[in-house]
Amino acid sequence: MLPGTSATQNAIVLAALAFLGITTLCSADVDESQSSEGGTERKPLFTMIPDYPKVARRDRIEGEVQVCFDVTREGRTRRIAVRKSTHRVFEKPAIRAVRVSTYLPLPSEAVMSGIKTCRTFRFTLEPVVTETEN
Amino acid sequence: MRHRKFFHFLSVTLLLAPFPAAPTEDAKTVLGPENIYLYDGANALMAQNGEEGVRLTLLGLQMAKGGREEKIAHSNLCAGFLLINQPETALEHCNWVIERDEGHWRTYNNRALVYMRLERFAEAEEDIRKGQALRPNSKKLKIVKGMYLDETQPVTPRIELDERRKADEDLEKQPTDVAGD
Repeated sequence: MLPGTSATQNAIVLAALAFLGITTLCSADVDESQSSEGGTERKPLFTMIPDYPKVARRDRIEGEVQVCFDVTREGRTRRIAVRKSTHRVFEKPAIRAVRVSTYLPLPSEAVMSGIKTCRTFRFTLEPVVTETEN
Repeated sequence: MRHRKFFHFLSVTLLLAPFPAAPTEDAKTVLGPENIYLYDGANALMAQNGEEGVRLTLLGLQMAKGGREEKIAHSNLCAGFLLINQPETALEHCNWVIERDEGHWRTYNNRALVYMRLERFAEAEEDIRKGQALRPNSKKLKIVKGMYLDETQPVTPRIELDERRKADEDLEKQPTDVAGD
């Protein structure tokens, strides 16, 4: 029992919490299965992480690339195109990674959304902190 | 372990002064190199045969004719002695070249490697800077600079993914994965 409350008040609070929980779960279910545009949300099956380009690492180049693409009913990526890029050195690895990435196939009754998916790859170099002897 | 990694890169980054065949007035006549020891020594060093390369280049230095051949010999000896893990001797030969020719970018490249081997990183950086001023687009110097940075400012690459569905200008954020090594 919550302190300073009666049994009836507690029951009301618990019922309200349970109701909120149910509505939250429902909205989550809808968000996962249906996009706001009516098509079915696609779930990644295999996401390829590209390698950091050797030349970029050597020359300490950081940057990001946004690659947009369609996902077929079978879950393959197609019409892959670079939408934004800070440095060309990152474009090929990003495209290659998207090309081999896959999504879960759509069931036959599901509706294709026709919405582009855009994946942004951020390539950063973090300093390695090494312990020094005293 | 660190030295093993260093020597792995050494084969890629050491620069040898070229020793061309002797010039000739008749283009149809092909002559061999004037100093065969220097020529063979350079070839041995390029084949990563350090001991033999140094031996032949020292012979070539003894019979060198003029400053040009001497410079080639010392430049290659710098590379050769570094290859056989004698950086102090290599440094003497690099210094010999740079004292006589401040525009010899290949020797700055090699001396930077020698300084790195000796863990004299400030001097290595200075030689890389001088070399790149002389030859800004040199791939070898870029590789050496990368080695220098890996020694002095090591980094870990990290790739972060963000996936969104695009309907016109509206982007719906869905972070998916984070990776590093």
